[in-house]
Amino acid sequence: MDRRTFVLGMLAAPLCGLAAPGCASQTQRAKPGLFTYATGDEMSTMDVAHNDSNYFTPLNIFDRLFETRMVDGQATVLNSLCTDYRKSDDGLRYDFTLREGVRFSNGDPLSSSDVRYTFTRLLTEAAVNTDIAVQIKGGQALMDKQADALEGFEIVDDTHFSITLEAPNGGFIAGLSSAAMSIVNERTTRAAHNFGKDPAETIGSGPYYVEEWVPNDHLIMKYNPYYWGEEPTVKEVFRRIIPDASTRDLMYQNGEVDLIDLTEIDALIVQRAYKVEHADKIVSAQMLGMTYLALNETNQYLKDVRVRKAIAMGIDTRDLIHNLKYDDAIEQKGIIPTGIWGNNPDLEGIAYDPDGARALLAEAGYRDGDVSFTLALSSSGDQLLNETVSNQLAKIGVQANIKVLDSATWMEKRLAGEHDAFIATWMLDYNDPDNIMGVFFGSPQRTRGRSICYPDTEVMARVSAAKSIVDDEERKREYQELEHKIVVEDRAWIPLFQGARIFCRGERVESFTPFWAGYGDYYLTDVTLTKEARG
Amino acid sequence: MREGTLRNLAKRLLYALISIVGVAALVFALLHVVPGNPVAALLGDRADPEKVERVSKALGLDQPLYVQFGNYLLGALHGDFGQSYTLGKPVSELMGAAFMNTLWLALAAALVSWVVGITSGLVAALHKNTLLDRLFMGASLLGVSLPVFMVAMLLQYVFAKYLHWLPIAGVADWTGYILPAIALGWSSAGSIARLVRSSVVEVMQQDYIDTARAKGRTNTQVIVLHALRNAMLPVITLMAMQFSGLLSGAFITETIFSINGIGRLSVQAITSRDIPLLQGTTLLCTFVIVMGNLVADLLYSVADPRVRKGA
Repeated sequence: MDRRTFVLGMLAAPLCGLAAPGCASQTQRAKPGLFTYATGDEMSTMDVAHNDSNYFTPLNIFDRLFETRMVDGQATVLNSLCTDYRKSDDGLRYDFTLREGVRFSNGDPLSSSDVRYTFTRLLTEAAVNTDIAVQIKGGQALMDKQADALEGFEIVDDTHFSITLEAPNGGFIAGLSSAAMSIVNERTTRAAHNFGKDPAETIGSGPYYVEEWVPNDHLIMKYNPYYWGEEPTVKEVFRRIIPDASTRDLMYQNGEVDLIDLTEIDALIVQRAYKVEHADKIVSAQMLGMTYLALNETNQYLKDVRVRKAIAMGIDTRDLIHNLKYDDAIEQKGIIPTGIWGNNPDLEGIAYDPDGARALLAEAGYRDGDVSFTLALSSSGDQLLNETVSNQLAKIGVQANIKVLDSATWMEKRLAGEHDAFIATWMLDYNDPDNIMGVFFGSPQRTRGRSICYPDTEVMARVSAAKSIVDDEERKREYQELEHKIVVEDRAWIPLFQGARIFCRGERVESFTPFWAGYGDYYLTDVTLTKEARG
Repeated sequence: MREGTLRNLAKRLLYALISIVGVAALVFALLHVVPGNPVAALLGDRADPEKVERVSKALGLDQPLYVQFGNYLLGALHGDFGQSYTLGKPVSELMGAAFMNTLWLALAAALVSWVVGITSGLVAALHKNTLLDRLFMGASLLGVSLPVFMVAMLLQYVFAKYLHWLPIAGVADWTGYILPAIALGWSSAGSIARLVRSSVVEVMQQDYIDTARAKGRTNTQVIVLHALRNAMLPVITLMAMQFSGLLSGAFITETIFSINGIGRLSVQAITSRDIPLLQGTTLLCTFVIVMGNLVADLLYSVADPRVRKGA
């Protein structure tokens, strides 16, 4: 072999390697009934006792007593495993009837005992989702290890049971529909060594069961033949973990995924590519949550209500929505978002008024540039939004200095009440105002843990007590009065907007309905494949 | 193997062990000094003080630091590196799966970089100051200067999106490694090519090359047996260092191509303050780098008799 042949051979080798697989095309031909989805978020476990942030798998392999769905634009609680319930006049006791003939994915029948075990387990497992179960009489004692059974849970027979609450709670039934209240199989969960992590041990009664889970890589779900509900068109799910948003974008364009969540895709690409080229395939849902600006009232400037009001007047939310291309977002005036029970569409808003804001600051004794605070931005937060708000505030002479912190540090400081200000989004778990007002203003510990440090203990006591008002109208009125006090009078919460979750369907998906609260997670039964894709 | 070499090897292994334990202690201390509560990070936006306290207790993070470190070391001696907070699985299991993916990726990338780098460096050196030389060196400069993410995205667009030859992401089979290996190996190939060129050019001017020619060796024999072998000494060090680097952190490539590898796992552990996972991946990376250096030294002694003889 002469030198020239040797050199050419060496050069050609890697090219041959590259071309070889090209002969066998890599375009994956999807199986009939297969639905492929890619996401950047991996869960820690399928067990909702230890996972309160990633509900995709729990939503689809477990059922709840109730499910919340959007009905005529309003989040509505519908029966699921429970077919009927009766509430006592004092709002303390609930009698439930379970659906007959429900079986778990291993064939075991569902009974009242499974429900009691599920609720008891949430309170005894150092769980993250205790908020609902702890309202049951004896729940706190069980959690504090001062009791060994859930006193307020009484089994009548296999399909009937009753629950007595410690205090009335108008949002209890809505709370039971949250993914956190997914019902598990008592027999298999008790025997499990690795519940939530080992698919074989993680048994639910939902429409799917998990066949394989390789963390950080993929998860395969299959249709549960014992499922009691209508048979879905999706028979198998291949959920891939693809951390890079632009790779997910490419995969959608290449037909490798059947649905894409456009939240993490650049807003400009969504507007100019997806909404133009795939306009008929766009599906969006209002996020039942709020993007807000939190101001810490222990800060030397922010403790003055005039400064907080000036800040609210200095933010042009319409401009934020328009310039940041959040086309589907809507302006908000209060704490309880549109679509949530108790929302007050007539709440007085605050108009964008930079001159008025400057005048208010002058009245408070501050000159241009005097008011200065740190706007803490988590590394996973929305930098552009923070920069835009900071720039808007600069125009009224307020310096909101952005400081980027890694998410763990940001969270630690928020919990310690140390942030001056920050922008975040809160998504509701269930359709009740307590799930947002109680979280932020339910107690001094809670408001401090949110770095708001709201000082009015009387208002906080009322917020905490509001969930126990039995009469719905009275309860709604109380929440709206409290919302007025906190937002309009005290300016302790600056609402920015209610965002939207936008998805784009692939060729194989005929229709899709996002989750009622606008999560990235959704019910796979709400995905309908085309006739061709069903096979 | 000679007694001196064995003693030297044992000494190096002991140093490696000390380094690994030292790194474990340092990482543990650092993780508890830097701000950022792992439980708060784990719970995310739903975190409230009561939840954090409850979960911290369940994870044993309420125990004194020396107890936590003692438990960790004890477990590590038995191969138990604890359970990842964020992925909920044993760290050893997660690292095992991720390391195999990274190992295949690193081997494939090394193959690309070595074959392309050595070949183009050699060709450029043998055609010094010609158009071919400038072409290869220009390409190698591109390799060194183009960021990995850009190469990766270009490859995805061309070979996956338009030509449909290869998958965009994932490593369901061997074809999934091709694009990431080229993206990752491309940059290393540039450095190797430049080093090989300069080394070969230098070696070709040595007297023993003329001697070899005078002895009637063919041109190929002169290049392969004399020039390349001698020119490879500095290249071997670079290759070994690059390989251990590939094994310990190809985060960008692994993220873009969705490969569940050590680099991605490490960054995930850092951002979420997943202490057991971070300690596990750090120890593994330390081990790989220490071993990489050791192998480089051994290869060096194989290639250079003077080193072997202790000259």
